[in-house]
Amino acid sequence: MLQTRPVLGDPKSYAFPKPRRLRVNNGTVVAIDAPGQLFASVRLVHPAGGGSEPLDRMGVAALTNEALEDGVQGNSSLAPALERHGAEWVSRVTWDSFVTGVDAPTNRLADATALLAEAVRTPALRDDDVVRRRDQILERFWLDASVPSTLATRAIGGQLFTGRYATPLSGAPVRLKDITPEAVREFHAASVAAVAGTLVVVGDLSGVDLEQLGALVFGGAAATPDLPRTAPDSAPGELPRVLIVDRPDSVQSALIMAHRAPSRADIDLPRADGVGDVLGGMFTSRLNLELRERLGYTYGAGCRFDLRRDSGVFLVSTQVERDTTAHSITATLGEIDKLRRDGVTEAELSAVRESNTVGLPVTYSTPRSLAAALVDIVVHDLPDDHVDRLRAGFEAITADDLAEGAREYLRPEELVTIVAGDAKRLEGPLGELGIGPVTVRDPESLWS
Amino acid sequence: MTTNGAARRVSQFTLDNGLRLVSAPAATPQVAAVNLWYGVGSRHERPGRTGFAHLFEHLMFQGSGNVAKGEHFDAVERLGGDINASTSTDRTNYYETVPEHALDLVLWLEADRLATLREGMSQEVLDNQRDVVKNERRQRYDNQPYGTALERILRLGYPEGHPYHHSTIGSMADLDAADLDYVLSFHGRHYGPDNAVLTVVSNLDPADVRDRVERYFGAIPARPSAAEAPDAALTGPIGGPVRDHVVEAVPAPGVFLGYRTAPYGERDFDVLHLASAVLGQGQGSRLYRRLVLERGLAADDGGAAADLLPFRYTPSLMLVNMIAREGVSGDDLEAAMIEETEKLAEGVTDEELERARAVLERDHLQTLSHPSGLADSISACTQLFGDPELAYTWPRRWAEVTTDDIVDQAKRALVPENMLSVRFDPDDTEAGERPAA
Repeated sequence: MLQTRPVLGDPKSYAFPKPRRLRVNNGTVVAIDAPGQLFASVRLVHPAGGGSEPLDRMGVAALTNEALEDGVQGNSSLAPALERHGAEWVSRVTWDSFVTGVDAPTNRLADATALLAEAVRTPALRDDDVVRRRDQILERFWLDASVPSTLATRAIGGQLFTGRYATPLSGAPVRLKDITPEAVREFHAASVAAVAGTLVVVGDLSGVDLEQLGALVFGGAAATPDLPRTAPDSAPGELPRVLIVDRPDSVQSALIMAHRAPSRADIDLPRADGVGDVLGGMFTSRLNLELRERLGYTYGAGCRFDLRRDSGVFLVSTQVERDTTAHSITATLGEIDKLRRDGVTEAELSAVRESNTVGLPVTYSTPRSLAAALVDIVVHDLPDDHVDRLRAGFEAITADDLAEGAREYLRPEELVTIVAGDAKRLEGPLGELGIGPVTVRDPESLWS
Repeated sequence: MTTNGAARRVSQFTLDNGLRLVSAPAATPQVAAVNLWYGVGSRHERPGRTGFAHLFEHLMFQGSGNVAKGEHFDAVERLGGDINASTSTDRTNYYETVPEHALDLVLWLEADRLATLREGMSQEVLDNQRDVVKNERRQRYDNQPYGTALERILRLGYPEGHPYHHSTIGSMADLDAADLDYVLSFHGRHYGPDNAVLTVVSNLDPADVRDRVERYFGAIPARPSAAEAPDAALTGPIGGPVRDHVVEAVPAPGVFLGYRTAPYGERDFDVLHLASAVLGQGQGSRLYRRLVLERGLAADDGGAAADLLPFRYTPSLMLVNMIAREGVSGDDLEAAMIEETEKLAEGVTDEELERARAVLERDHLQTLSHPSGLADSISACTQLFGDPELAYTWPRRWAEVTTDDIVDQAKRALVPENMLSVRFDPDDTEAGERPAA
């Protein structure tokens, strides 16, 4: 006989592992011991993200980050050296950080970290390597932009901001092509090589000498400075409005609806993320249930907050069958209005509470995810028990908090709707929606 | 019970109804990863019914006898768990990773849709998910540059009527033709405990896990008879070179080469897997060093130009794929890729092989570092090879491969008679042309 649905007992209490902090030379090592995890994650965090680039050097951080992969001997020598240790280079530039690192078997961690250290401190950065990387990034920009969702997402910055955020992180073609090898070397020397940064290490640390790793990576570099940041201005233009990025004959439209949001430090994260979860953060969120599971317009729909140190963005994203584009937009606006007007249901409240509390052992079940949490803590100056504090915030959240959050953080009157799709067929229907004037642009005109 | 090293202990048990249970310890506390591999994939589909195994995977989330539409996702997501499913040629997998106290709930949800899916099915949910899948097809294939490459590769690599000739996503026309009766009969034919492997990765005692699985799955009857898969036997080379040339709105010429090789699990497959890593995996690989760095012919893919498409029940394919740099013709890129690929037959150094092994082992360790990755690997090794331990020991198979093995295999498999080529070139007459950077 089949069983009836089991009633769940109480979850075991969970606490985020307390990181160990070590001051080594002018840097800090932050580490979590994860017994049994024999593949470790090492990350070196510098504050030199794209957001602090001067406007005439846009893209220098991303280009430098890639150029480090050419290693101390140039000619892409780093990755093969790591590959021989079974290690992998992991690096990225965000608006707020310049992250380098390796994932490596714990028994090869010292070797792999030594390669990380020399790649970050004393890379060759030869002219021909930097130019090759730059030209590859320039060409890849258009290869990537041929993917409709990437094209639409890249257009957000220019619609919401002036200044650095108006241009994609990579600098976009027109800016990047003027970045010289000399500019890369200057940026690297001043913002990366000379700055100790913070080293994150997660894995089975029995037999791992953290002090030695720290000394290897920090060497004689200076203490990490605080980079001052000022909030960016908004892009000019009437709000709300619509931008169609023309992609003739597209059978689907990549749809983004975005507006500005508070910065990471200024937002109440449980309330904002809770609202995001209810509207579009999960499979069972309202947007996905409506656009996918009821209407069948899409393979998936969602929303999220992209929060930076000095500002933020709220965005809805989906890809819908071309002829359902207009209705997908009104249906999305309908869901936003309903959430702002009526707040959340009891079931939604409990889903927000539970998924952000009892699910933590799942969220942090790998060295990579633990390392990502530590990087977040470092970048945003959060306390070491940040994850536990956040959990406490979700445990205490009420339906009123979420309703208030919806009214505060969702601003339909400020939305810019961006559609990468077939302008010829979309311009008319979208113009009739009453969500602002419609502009049509060719993709290549957006970043020139 | 079998053991493999001090920290790894895999327990296997087969229920009376044929369900194969494997449990293994997690390297992370308070988590249970559940993974089900059903032995049904697109290879079971008949002409006119393509895309059905995958459409069916969607329907498994649409409610069953005691679970409402959407409830399965909701129950797992509100626990902060990970949940999804995927369909390939050879199998369909369903998986959830949840906090340990929720293991019973997940087992119950899986058991309910295995036993009673047909009670939850309706024309309305079929119509809705058909639309969703058609949009999945648009998003992943039709509205993506080079999106139809895999479909075209399979068409060239396997003859018409062969069960691997078509892609898992299926055709729009066949999706339109799917009817409710066929959905119900498909479940009956393929979804039985005797056609499934269930893996649980957690820190619970294996006997405890077994009791729980018995409780929820024990009463589900086996299928009256096992479904037959269409004959997938195929011998000899592709009979190439065979080509498909596409001119459409892509940003740059794209070249996809395919070579037929042994089924997944055979030694020749392992040899060619290492060959593919020498050739195109990592920035130390030949294609990256020669065509990206030295000659500047191909776009920088970070070293991901070659891999194997693993098929268990028919010859697999080695795929080689690169996109041309600005000003480089598809012809020149293709000729250079073929030259590098065929040159493996002239020799491989010990250093190259060593690097290739390290790269494959790294990816293997990465997969196992996540409880759900470990559970999926165990299900795969149990379903396909009857040996869950292989999930841990697979790298040993690479340890025995020599450079001579790779050269021998390259001489046999990486030749024009065994090659297919799918080429995309930009349609310069349309607006899809790439602007000068």
